[in-house]
Amino acid sequence: MLRLPKFELARPERIEDALALLAEHGERAQILAGGTDLVPNMKHELFTPDVVVSLARIPGLVGVRVERDGTLRIGAMTTLDALAHDPLVRERAPALAQAASLISGPQLRRMGTLGGNVMLDTRCQWYNQTHFWRSALGFCLKKDGTLCHVVAGGKKCVAAASNDTAPALMTLRAALVFRGQEGARTIAIDDLYKADGIYNKKTKGEILTEVRIPATPAGHRGAYGKLRDRGSIDFPLLGVAVRLDLELAGENGRGAVECADVCAVALQARPVRIQEVAECLRGTRPGTSAFAEAVEAVAEKAKKQCHPLENIPGDAEYRREMVPVYVRRTLRAAAEGAGPVEHV
Amino acid sequence: MGENPRMRLLRLRVNGDLHEVGAPDHWTLLEVLRYRLGLIGSKQGCDKGDCGACTVLQDGKPLLSCITLAALAEGHEVTTIEGLMPAHVARGGAGADPVQEAFDRCGALQCGFCQPGMMLSARALLNENPAPSRTEIRAALAGNLCRCTGYTQIVQAVELAIAEAAGVEPPRPAWSPDANPWKAAPPKTRPARTRSTRRAAEREEG
Amino acid sequence: MAARDLHGKGPPWKEGFRIIGKAHPKSDGIEKATGQAIYADDIALPGMLHAKILRSPHAHARIRSIDATRALSLEGVQAVITGKDLPIPYGVIPWTPDEHALALEKVRFVGDEVAAVAAVDEDTANAALKRIQVDYEPLEAFLDPWEALRTPAPQIHAEIRGKPVEGNISKHVDLSFGDVERGFAEADVVLEDDYFFHGTTHTPIEPHCAVAQVSADGVLTLWSSTQITHYVQRALARVLELPESRIRVIQPCLGGAFGGKSDPFALEFVVSKLAFLTGRPVKCLWTREEVFYAHRGRHPMHMHYKTGARKDGRITAVDARILIDGGAYSSFGLVTAYYAGQLLTGPYDFPAYRFDSTRVFTNKPPCGPKRGHGSVQPRFAFEVQLDEIAERLGLDPIELRRRNFQGQDTSTVNGQRITSNGFLACLAEVERASRWKERRGKLPHGRGLGVAGSMYISGTNYPVYPNDMPQAGVQLKVDRSGLVTVFTGGNDIGQGSNSVCRYIVAEELGLDPLDVRVVAADTDLCPVDLGAYSSRVTFMVGNATIDACRKLRRQIVAAVVEAWGVVPERVAMGHGEVYDREDPSHRIPSREAFHLAETRFDTLGATGSYNTPKLGGDYRGGTIGASPAYSFTAHVVEATVDVETGRITVANCWIAHDCGRALNPMLVAGQIEGSAYMGIAEALLEVHDVNRFGLHAGPSLLDYRIPTSVDTPELHALIVESLDPEGPYGAKEAGEGPLHPSIPAISNAVFDAVGIRLRHLPFTPAKVLAALREASARPPAPKVARAPAKERR
Repeated sequence: MLRLPKFELARPERIEDALALLAEHGERAQILAGGTDLVPNMKHELFTPDVVVSLARIPGLVGVRVERDGTLRIGAMTTLDALAHDPLVRERAPALAQAASLISGPQLRRMGTLGGNVMLDTRCQWYNQTHFWRSALGFCLKKDGTLCHVVAGGKKCVAAASNDTAPALMTLRAALVFRGQEGARTIAIDDLYKADGIYNKKTKGEILTEVRIPATPAGHRGAYGKLRDRGSIDFPLLGVAVRLDLELAGENGRGAVECADVCAVALQARPVRIQEVAECLRGTRPGTSAFAEAVEAVAEKAKKQCHPLENIPGDAEYRREMVPVYVRRTLRAAAEGAGPVEHV
Repeated sequence: MGENPRMRLLRLRVNGDLHEVGAPDHWTLLEVLRYRLGLIGSKQGCDKGDCGACTVLQDGKPLLSCITLAALAEGHEVTTIEGLMPAHVARGGAGADPVQEAFDRCGALQCGFCQPGMMLSARALLNENPAPSRTEIRAALAGNLCRCTGYTQIVQAVELAIAEAAGVEPPRPAWSPDANPWKAAPPKTRPARTRSTRRAAEREEG
Repeated sequence: MAARDLHGKGPPWKEGFRIIGKAHPKSDGIEKATGQAIYADDIALPGMLHAKILRSPHAHARIRSIDATRALSLEGVQAVITGKDLPIPYGVIPWTPDEHALALEKVRFVGDEVAAVAAVDEDTANAALKRIQVDYEPLEAFLDPWEALRTPAPQIHAEIRGKPVEGNISKHVDLSFGDVERGFAEADVVLEDDYFFHGTTHTPIEPHCAVAQVSADGVLTLWSSTQITHYVQRALARVLELPESRIRVIQPCLGGAFGGKSDPFALEFVVSKLAFLTGRPVKCLWTREEVFYAHRGRHPMHMHYKTGARKDGRITAVDARILIDGGAYSSFGLVTAYYAGQLLTGPYDFPAYRFDSTRVFTNKPPCGPKRGHGSVQPRFAFEVQLDEIAERLGLDPIELRRRNFQGQDTSTVNGQRITSNGFLACLAEVERASRWKERRGKLPHGRGLGVAGSMYISGTNYPVYPNDMPQAGVQLKVDRSGLVTVFTGGNDIGQGSNSVCRYIVAEELGLDPLDVRVVAADTDLCPVDLGAYSSRVTFMVGNATIDACRKLRRQIVAAVVEAWGVVPERVAMGHGEVYDREDPSHRIPSREAFHLAETRFDTLGATGSYNTPKLGGDYRGGTIGASPAYSFTAHVVEATVDVETGRITVANCWIAHDCGRALNPMLVAGQIEGSAYMGIAEALLEVHDVNRFGLHAGPSLLDYRIPTSVDTPELHALIVESLDPEGPYGAKEAGEGPLHPSIPAISNAVFDAVGIRLRHLPFTPAKVLAALREASARPPAPKVARAPAKERR
């Protein structure tokens, strides 16, 4: 058995107590949500906290509800399985429901949480290995070493963001509520991630409590596309989230694109937004050749803008080839109100 | 962090029994089940949640016990493979749980190592959805790796359990095109009675 | 005296089979289903210590020194051992004892075992490992077999068993049969190409585990998740310098093996030695990562095949050159180098054949036997090349195979004896089931059908150590209660060999299967069986069981005949009774017949044996590949290719397998399905390789991808029965043969779908896209003048 390193577990029943523990122990404490990321990483001795602070007993962190103004509020400890099946999420934030439905496998989706996925550690084939394995090559830039094995002579860690919910939430303009000892603050998800594979988030010592998704208009469409070798369990080799907001039904039953967004993950240390998407698609109408051409244009732009590295296991050149394919297929799926896009 | 971690007294409800067991915080639920409670039916396949052999049910939902901290199972109802048959008997059934019987009758247990986890995932599926399609069955079992069967007889076993619960004939396998090998469930006999229980029953009946 | 002369392929009773041929549940099914089955890691003994093994971080290095003093001083650590404590080398093949339980002077791959500790728990043992200091002198490491082939120094092994090794060559075999050059000269078409099969591994869901206990009077008991209890006993005796009679090896219930547990492994020697040193039981459970380092998986093979054929499709000559990447140790490598050529000579007849195979050592986890040992790779290359020949000649690929069918009761070009051969029926079955004639070549672009065939051994002609004793032995015990216990050394690794014993005894003695219990794979209790490898157990243990049953039956019938005053022909056994055929009202329960027999003959018991006849060609290596019976298989795969992503999806796989007779069709189907699944996985998903540091690229079940239930297609198992004259009731193997054709059938289906040839495994989406791009830039290949109209399909 690969054993966990020793630690003390705290199961606070109030968020204030959790925050106090984090403040008291600083770097020596770590938050445990569903455990599906932290526990395997601890078995790999990537994290060896003295204190593990479980959020399981803190009330008010689970659940999906919609405010009067249409804002969707999701507790950070809501499981991925619950998200995938929740009718409010499926209707108002389909890209998020689809992304959640594709994460890992059935058991893990019942354990893993939205907050845990938003805050997922970055991944790399040189990093997500046992202590013995990593010591055999002298460790790496992200953990315990100074050399990057992906980019020869690289000084910046390029471990990949691997969380499927992140690009979906970016297209949904999600806001994240963090609780710190000083109180709560809300940041846009676009402001959470940074291009640093070692730790790709701009928060420290705070607890994500809630994800808020602004009301999506009636003509909102979203979809998620995931490339992976198997149809279950694997992390993404490429993840694409799409948003299309259509004007309320025009003559053909589908109005023109008012708003469009495409975000991707599993390329580099942060999830990325493809640039110039809205300019291509705005004003075109799904089902027309103008729309199809605009989709092609977006796919080409995405290919030019995306540069997967040999960080996660999987052919980087192939992943790059698949960027336009998955962007195209996911845009089409979103336009049709379908998805998710995967190979099974 | 010292060499000798503090032991925590855990109160775990497993298969309907309340256990008090001591374990340090870094012990997983799988380790406590196997090495403290002697419930060796849940298996260890991959150390870190990649294979599903360690699947148990927590409040009826399948989870991976090898990446669940034992302490976090407190306050929940855990079901392991050893609990399926007694639960079935307690509900008035005879013999093993219909999922277990079906797996046996379909040949789905080759080496058997992945199957406790597989059967629990199947049991959880049928509890939630008594008539899933073949696609839904495969999707529900997509977190349980099997190396022996190629999944065919596993899916057949789940479909047999579904068919028998519904009182219909299950689909015929490719290797038996002319007759359905599972058409009639063999009559499930209750455990043989000893002399004393028989006398007691006769007294009651008489 | 071999059992094969005593019984035939029919039922033992005039009334026909009552048990055999039916879908009875397994003898251990419900026990596994309820979580009661005991596997090695389920064993816990009082005072048991836990062992952990320190492994080499270098791919190739000399060990200068090991300092374990700090480890020993850790509280809870009971013993630490290194190579010096186990200096005698071993190897599963007696001619290549090139392994040490713990490295003695050098380490040869990342993960090679160096030291071991026994401690009160795993955490302490792990902490102790971190305190062991090893001083290494790194050496140049070979990760590429071509480089190892052409670079004689540094040598990975300098000498084995006293004989110097030539450079880094593990084994070289060059055999030629018939006149190959003339064959090519006579051919109307000659195709020649390179094919590559990559590395894959077994990944049984149960990691290796061993528990050792030494009694106060020095008897060692080892429980181990192994396929080869008998060979492990011999290896332990050799390395620990103990008499074999003081070593008991027991295989508990086992969670999958597929050839990955058919070597003796370091953990078995380590726990045994530590148990001796500490006087306490010791367990070692490998982590999943360690299972990847142990490996013994499929050898990567770089193959060059040249085949000649006449216009009518008849093969005239085959020439193969194969480079085999062996990894750091020999394992079964001597056999692999032979199998790579010897097992290709069926189900087709070709009059001239040559193969030249070289196995080299490299500084990577050692390769060994994986389901279809040594023959899956060549079969892949050959069956794709056959398809290419069919294309060139304008022949249907199934028709091409039919025209080359070797027949039954014949002999191959390399001197193997073929008896029963149901290959034509297999082709007919998959042709029918897949609707081949109406669909192949006619499906829309992106969808296609591919066919392939194969043959495989049902056990081999020789034990791993030379001797003329039976290869399988069985003992029966009869209880007055009516229970018959079967003792067999045979290793049930999930394939159901124990169940086969049960069914045979129940059939022969007319018992309810529940009144037959099996005790297996315990060297104290059970007669010797050589182990579960080369698909031998059903065939050999089955025959030995029938042998034992017939002896016992004679005694029982003789006693009943005396008691009833009837002729023996009137006595029949069935349904738990013994009865008079001419007066069925005259019947007694089986157990009463046992009492009559025990009264008449005293305590009852019988042994049975099986040994193969002398087989094989009369040349060096001629016995390797010889088998008392061969199974035959044909696959048709229906595949779709997404031309945008390059992804291949197998929609359907039809597998027709000639298993002689299906003793239990449900279990045979399970083996067929499991084999096909494993082949498809090797073709499309699994990759075992090391990175540029010599480190396994992804030693976890997350990174080493085996298919989930949503990645596996519908597998249609079709059973063909050719009733072999030597198998038990005509049965042959079903555990390895059905894997072979799946891989080439996928390549051939892709050709039908999108017109590209995949000769390089695995068939990744990137390779498919590259081939599609190349094909669209290239003009089509010329076809040879078609065969006359009447021969065309």
